[in-house]
Amino acid sequence: MKKLLAIALALALTLSLAACGNGGEPPADGGDAGADLAGTYDVVIWAPEAAVDLTKSQVADFNSSNEYGITINATVEPVSEADAATNMITDVQAGGDLFFFAQDQLSRLIQAGAVSKLGASAVEFAKNNNNAASILAAQSGSDLYAYPLTADNGYFMYYDKSVVPDSDADSLEAIIADCEAAGKNISFELENAWYSAGFFFGTGCHSQWITDDDGNFISIDDDFNSDKGLIAAKGIQKVVTSKSYVNSSNADFASGSAVVVTGTWNYATIKDQIGDNMGVADLPSFEVDGQSYHIGSYSGCKLLGVKPQTDAVRGAALARLAQYLTGKDCQLARFNSFGWGPSNKDALADPAVTSDPTLAALNEQGNYAVPQPNIHGSWWDIAKVIATDIKASDGSDAALKAALDKYEQSIQAVFSMSDDVKNAFTVIGSINGDGWTLDLPMTADGDIWTSNEAYTMDAGVEFKCRQGMSWDVAYPADNFVVETAGTYYIQLNAATGEVSLIPA
Amino acid sequence: MKRQNGTDPGNSSVRRKHKSPQVFFKEIGEILGEYSDGRYLRLSKLQKLIYKILAFFRAIPFAIAGFFKNIGKNIKNAAISLVNEFKDIGSTFAHGDWKTRVSYFVMGFGNITRGQILRGLLFLLFEIVFIVYMIVAGGHWLSLLPSLGKQGPTQSYDPVLDTYTTVYNDNSFKILLYGVLTIFFIIAFIYTWRLNVKQNKLAEQYLKSGKKLKGDKDDLRSMVDEQFYKTLLALPLTGILVFTVMPIVFMILVAFTNYDGAHNGFSNNLFSWVGLDNFNTLFSWQSAGGGQSYSATFGEILAWTLIWAFLATFTNYFLGMFVAMMINKKGIGLKKMWRTILVMTVAIPQFISLLYVSKMFARNGLINLTLKDTLGWISQPLPFWEDATWARVTVILVNIWIGIPYLMLITTGILMNIPADLYESARIDGANAWQQYTKITLPYMLFITGPYLLTSFTGNMNNFNVIYLLTGGAPTNPAASGAAGSVGYTDLLITWLFKITTGAESQYYLASVVGIMVFVVVALISLIVYNVLPSIKNEEDYQ
Amino acid sequence: MSNNKHHMGMKTLNRLSNSAIYTLLVIISVVWLIPFVFIVLQSFRVESTYQVGYVVPHQWGFQNYINLWNSDFKRWYLNTFIIALAAAVLQTIIVLCMSYTLSRFRFKLRGPLMRFMLILGMFPGMLTMIILYRVLSDLGLTQANAVPGLILVSVASSGMGYYVSKGFFDTIPKSLDEAARVDGATRLQVLYKIILPLAKPIVIYTILTAFMGPWGDYVFARYVAFGTSAGYNVAVGMYSWLTNDQINNMYTTFCAGGVIVALPVTILFLCLQKYYVEGVTGGAVKG
Repeated sequence: MKKLLAIALALALTLSLAACGNGGEPPADGGDAGADLAGTYDVVIWAPEAAVDLTKSQVADFNSSNEYGITINATVEPVSEADAATNMITDVQAGGDLFFFAQDQLSRLIQAGAVSKLGASAVEFAKNNNNAASILAAQSGSDLYAYPLTADNGYFMYYDKSVVPDSDADSLEAIIADCEAAGKNISFELENAWYSAGFFFGTGCHSQWITDDDGNFISIDDDFNSDKGLIAAKGIQKVVTSKSYVNSSNADFASGSAVVVTGTWNYATIKDQIGDNMGVADLPSFEVDGQSYHIGSYSGCKLLGVKPQTDAVRGAALARLAQYLTGKDCQLARFNSFGWGPSNKDALADPAVTSDPTLAALNEQGNYAVPQPNIHGSWWDIAKVIATDIKASDGSDAALKAALDKYEQSIQAVFSMSDDVKNAFTVIGSINGDGWTLDLPMTADGDIWTSNEAYTMDAGVEFKCRQGMSWDVAYPADNFVVETAGTYYIQLNAATGEVSLIPA
Repeated sequence: MKRQNGTDPGNSSVRRKHKSPQVFFKEIGEILGEYSDGRYLRLSKLQKLIYKILAFFRAIPFAIAGFFKNIGKNIKNAAISLVNEFKDIGSTFAHGDWKTRVSYFVMGFGNITRGQILRGLLFLLFEIVFIVYMIVAGGHWLSLLPSLGKQGPTQSYDPVLDTYTTVYNDNSFKILLYGVLTIFFIIAFIYTWRLNVKQNKLAEQYLKSGKKLKGDKDDLRSMVDEQFYKTLLALPLTGILVFTVMPIVFMILVAFTNYDGAHNGFSNNLFSWVGLDNFNTLFSWQSAGGGQSYSATFGEILAWTLIWAFLATFTNYFLGMFVAMMINKKGIGLKKMWRTILVMTVAIPQFISLLYVSKMFARNGLINLTLKDTLGWISQPLPFWEDATWARVTVILVNIWIGIPYLMLITTGILMNIPADLYESARIDGANAWQQYTKITLPYMLFITGPYLLTSFTGNMNNFNVIYLLTGGAPTNPAASGAAGSVGYTDLLITWLFKITTGAESQYYLASVVGIMVFVVVALISLIVYNVLPSIKNEEDYQ
Repeated sequence: MSNNKHHMGMKTLNRLSNSAIYTLLVIISVVWLIPFVFIVLQSFRVESTYQVGYVVPHQWGFQNYINLWNSDFKRWYLNTFIIALAAAVLQTIIVLCMSYTLSRFRFKLRGPLMRFMLILGMFPGMLTMIILYRVLSDLGLTQANAVPGLILVSVASSGMGYYVSKGFFDTIPKSLDEAARVDGATRLQVLYKIILPLAKPIVIYTILTAFMGPWGDYVFARYVAFGTSAGYNVAVGMYSWLTNDQINNMYTTFCAGGVIVALPVTILFLCLQKYYVEGVTGGAVKG
């Protein structure tokens, strides 16, 4: 009796779950062709806490000023730019339609299918209005995936003039000596690759990840493990072995720091902490073997992403809203409210922007900065250890070199680790009118690989199946030629190299 | 009691001191192979404990061998009972009346026609719901389960509106989830169907022998009486089944897929079954990049997890007991006030107190600033969270701060329960405070709190809050940088698991493998303790 | 004479050890109270909102509490309170059903069931977070609706925590039940007429722990309510104030929030401390 009741209960629960599971996707009521975007749209926007109110009023402005008859019914949620990717990846469907994010998350977002590619007109809008570095930041392969919001995501140095006189501010050695003498700290978050990479750029090293059009990383071009890199390691060593070193990028002046390497976002707090004693400057130089190197940095952007939409009309309307929010007026409004440095070319020329002290320091540092490209998520974990290793080492050249050797092995292993990609077969050829540029995925069942989709092919279409996207292993030896037009799955027996077509 | 005190407490310890390590272990070793009561009893306490632990491990191969030996027998038994079930089902059908036979297809028919309306209707309802579910959804999910979906999302470009749109297709996650649920459901159905057949057979026999069947009223009454336990357990067990068992089954299955950030099963790529690949990844001794292999990282974290759990449990236990004894001591006033002060830490949510304490110990936190600037005792900040050893010691110290009040509460009650005459007679025999403690208090406490110590140990192994809120695993362990999720020196397996899940690559499959390993470790430790500590086994002894 | 002397010696020794204990207790009390006193002091600091190297505010005021009132904190507080209240009622019912049954009834599957739950408990719960999120999201109980979702999950799996209260029920003599059964009471009547009145400490203990849990629930609550302030509980909301981009503006507000969160829970706990101790000593340590 009771068993029955329990089972019935369990079953009712199961049913209700399954029913929901079935109807999860919203119906795509496709709008009629034609660019009629008029209508009301419920939109969730994720903006950092500080910008929530401003964004609300900017959306209201958009509603009253746009020429398409779009009314946006926006819910603006406070979500930090730093957490946007983590949150989006949790559940793309439930994520914000528009979201502010720091550019280092772009590849994760693309990979998760959480940002929509920009249409041609949107690309034109973004490229015409924003500076080159910010466009680079929003790009993966040859496509744009986001709208530049700011171009101020870089770092420079704040210092307390009562401890570090202006005359010392351009020498790392002098700064360290001043701080140690005064018993003050130097906040420099070197156990974070975003900051420590600056030393390497300063000595002329580079680190560049190469992505394809889908946001996948193909390879890395990196020379941190080199003679130049060793010089950079010695520079890092000077800071991390100092008794003044604090691994932080917070506004630490109130808790014992006299120098903080951080960005524009801490300006107001630091100004409040040390007032007129505040100095703002580009990063200093360090000296190794009598030669001086200016510490470099990453310069980066914040971007506005749009979640992939199932409805084209809605997608087009959101694109209009995104363009408005990243336009000159909105960028300037954000600069005026919170000092966010614009990426918009016209806004950059605004006298208020050009005369801003932090943006001036950022600009000065810009001469030594490397625009932050798309970076593989695991690089941050791998590279942040460089400073940790240097700190723990005995300081000899050999020990520093060992730290860099380990770094190099680790980044190379990122690719060797993904055996998935290395071993997988893909189809490449003149399928779908493609000119042998696109690898189409296949799925393995033992040795039998089958294309994930059936393709409609005319007679005479040619293709090959290749492994690891290289030509080292490819079947059949000569191109496979389709004899009869039709829709087929492509199948490969990897053990024998035999390729066949399976009618769909 | 007197007799116990009569055997001089110093005696056994003196004897132990004189045993050389060789003799010490030789004595254990000699009786390991054979069972010898007399010689076992001659061992010292420590030797007995070690003997038990060794004997446990020694028994493992035999147990496994026995298991396999029994497998044949078990399979045979299972097969026989299965055949019997089928025979019974068949013979019930063959010999049953028409009501019974119809019940094979319309569940509950027999019950209804024989007057057990409520029972019958529930059976019928269950069958209808099951069939409808299988047609509407179950079959669909089940058919996709082997492949976990065929078609991922596709993207298309709308030239008129100049936008890209995405069409979402299969969802591996849901296929796996509802596939598992459907299987649960089918099992439940088969069980219920069998129950239905059995009840028909019984009912027929009852009526034939002239007995009266239980009516609906009897059913309802038994729900609050003989069968009351079923009523009480129905809701809790349903909850556990759906919100604990099902998720665990699901997560175990994930360990055999390639579910991660790049294959999230819905908005980018579908995921699929990969067999034992993930276990190979965790257990290959191959180096993961420039750092060490996954297995070495796992071993390192496991070692610290065990050390942490041991220290966290026993420091709290003994210090908590110590504080409780201090407060309980005769002649100490304001007992209530001391307790209240300590107990506040139990009441205040950990995320507030731990986050605050974490900031206090930071390199430029309050403690360092006070020591350095205000007091001038140190010239350099102390590396509480930056040095591996410092950080490990600090988390244990802070954990003592968190844990003592709780232990103090528990032990206070037990200490008061120890019969006072035990101490009285001990005092008469001239035992000093330390002897009273080691001979009376401690054995009594250990006996009573044995089970608690075990749960507390495994609880500490999975003590996510303290580590996550205090250090987040810091400082970074450079050697383990190749492993997923940036491992730190204070990371426990549980925080590592969290980092793997939320890290850059969201390797859910690896987290799942690590989770399974955590289970194996906890289960093994529990098994050992169960076998070594007798007081846990016999719950009835306490009643 | 010599006897008397010996006695005096004991007394001095006792006095000595007592004063040592007092000293130790005072030190312990200070160590235990310091962080809380500091949090309270910081919450009244108005001259700056970031972390500083001193404890006593230079300027006192209620600005941080006013900020708290103007933020979403009210909503978070209400959410947490609702969850805590619901958990206190529902979890208690579930836990009591479970533990009473396992303590009093001897049925065929009792042993296997208890062993099964023991084994289930050895799996790290963290793992099931992702899947529970999906289940809740399919039921529409995430983000803005996170409150019922969190209640559902915490109540549904609470049966696993039967251990302590079962231990308590085990200490109530079975002869009481049997006497009542002989008098013709049903099992249900035995439960609410005889057992429950005796089990008051453990009921209060269960209510209290169930009520206190949600105030510190961070990881899963964040996962379920992600990106939707209206669904946050206090832990999730306040934790977001300590992220790098907010800590400089919100640190003292965080302290004020901490005080507001801790106050009612602490007071409640201190009032019911007696039952808590009885429950925990009666239950936690007896298998």
